[in-house]
Amino acid sequence: MSRTQAQEELRSIIGLCRSVTAGSVEPFAVDIDYILGVIRKHYPEIKSLQEFCTDAEAISELSGVLKRQDEWIQHQSTTLYKDPFLLSQQLMKMEIGAIAESFLKSWHPVLEMEQLSAKTLAGSLVYWTDLLPMSMRWRPMDVTEVEAGTATMDEARELGIIPEEGFAEILEASWRELCEKAGVGGRIGYWDWIGADTYQETVIRSYLACFMVGYGYAEIVTDRFGENAELVHNPEPRAEPGREKISIPTLVDYEEWSRWRRG
Amino acid sequence: MAPRVKGGEAAYARKARDAVHLLFFQHHRLPGVRGWELRQELGPEWQSVLEVLDKQLQPLDLQVTRVFDDPTIIEPNQGQLADARYYITLRGSMDQKTAKTIGWRVDDIAGLAVAIAYIISKQGKAPRVDVEKVLQEKLPGWRVKMSLDRYIQQGYLGEDERGTLYMDWRSRAEVDQKQLVDLIMSFGKKTEAKEQTEEPGEQGPRTRQTPQPESSE
Repeated sequence: MSRTQAQEELRSIIGLCRSVTAGSVEPFAVDIDYILGVIRKHYPEIKSLQEFCTDAEAISELSGVLKRQDEWIQHQSTTLYKDPFLLSQQLMKMEIGAIAESFLKSWHPVLEMEQLSAKTLAGSLVYWTDLLPMSMRWRPMDVTEVEAGTATMDEARELGIIPEEGFAEILEASWRELCEKAGVGGRIGYWDWIGADTYQETVIRSYLACFMVGYGYAEIVTDRFGENAELVHNPEPRAEPGREKISIPTLVDYEEWSRWRRG
Repeated sequence: MAPRVKGGEAAYARKARDAVHLLFFQHHRLPGVRGWELRQELGPEWQSVLEVLDKQLQPLDLQVTRVFDDPTIIEPNQGQLADARYYITLRGSMDQKTAKTIGWRVDDIAGLAVAIAYIISKQGKAPRVDVEKVLQEKLPGWRVKMSLDRYIQQGYLGEDERGTLYMDWRSRAEVDQKQLVDLIMSFGKKTEAKEQTEEPGEQGPRTRQTPQPESSE
């Protein structure tokens, strides 16, 4: 068999498996042993990357079929299962009115309400009264020149403009804490590290974690699906790890934090 | 002791009122409230508050309905209860006349029933072309396409990028799938299928469409 024919055979298998996952072919109508046999037969002949990808795709689609078979067995073991053929025969036999009647007996519509209360309207009126006219809001800003003053660092700290500690110190303290929690060169789950009693503190810790990674105090590693992230303590800060830098977006929203809190 | 009991009742009444505000009015893009949102607003006894509210809604023919993301959950744990979505739904059923007054033609209802029953029989998903073919047996083609689009837009059905239809959030929240399938299967039989009526004394949020093991039937 030529390599082109082998590829075509694998493609047809992929198509068949996709029909099963899409629901147009029954999961047990497919002969798994035969499909596995075809994949096995062509595997030693793989020469190019494209052929390898087709082989991998066939295996991936076959796993989808197995999943559907599992679901099928689970579905059949429930009271919800009725023979699809009998069900469609019954539907064909029934008048439209009778089908509608059956549906109405099992239909419990959701109640949805949208209403403005007098309180909301009163609040909106207060807002409207306080709202500046567009001509005032959009007019050019009046900028007046003021004489620049000076302030000492202590004064700026007192005003809260500059934090008591320098950012580098905060970062290093965070690094030391990571060392204590994860051990030298150890790793800790991302959420175990950033998670705190309050959402505000969690966001601050996540912000600091970004800088710890960016400045080489730590590294972030994720699994292949990008679902589980871990922070790895670097015994020596490595600002240039010699690897390509990538961004790992991590969601730290309130819902995620609440879920973490619930464990 | 009596004032304390009275105080407790008042607190429950207040929380039931808060639950009404949360459940009746739409706060998100979709109606319904997650369990954790209710817990946040109503406190740790949120489930008892829902039971009280459900009891109060009974004379109005309404109920609190709970829908899990995973429909196979039978005995939920606390985390799954917190993740479930809660709705207020009609407790009983409505007749065709009422359905018409809220904008549902008999063809629309029957089309939705057939689409849902067909998808159930296919383990929860089926190609759109197959559903269209079934519907076209009794409805004109142009109407079938239009109806399916409407069911999708209203959240009864969902369609993925492969053109596969599945049951979306509204079907899972509103349709008692087991009852629907049983009614269709028992059609024409002399022994009328008994309607699933609520057991006396049953209170608290009802979970929609959880399949039970065959042996429990």
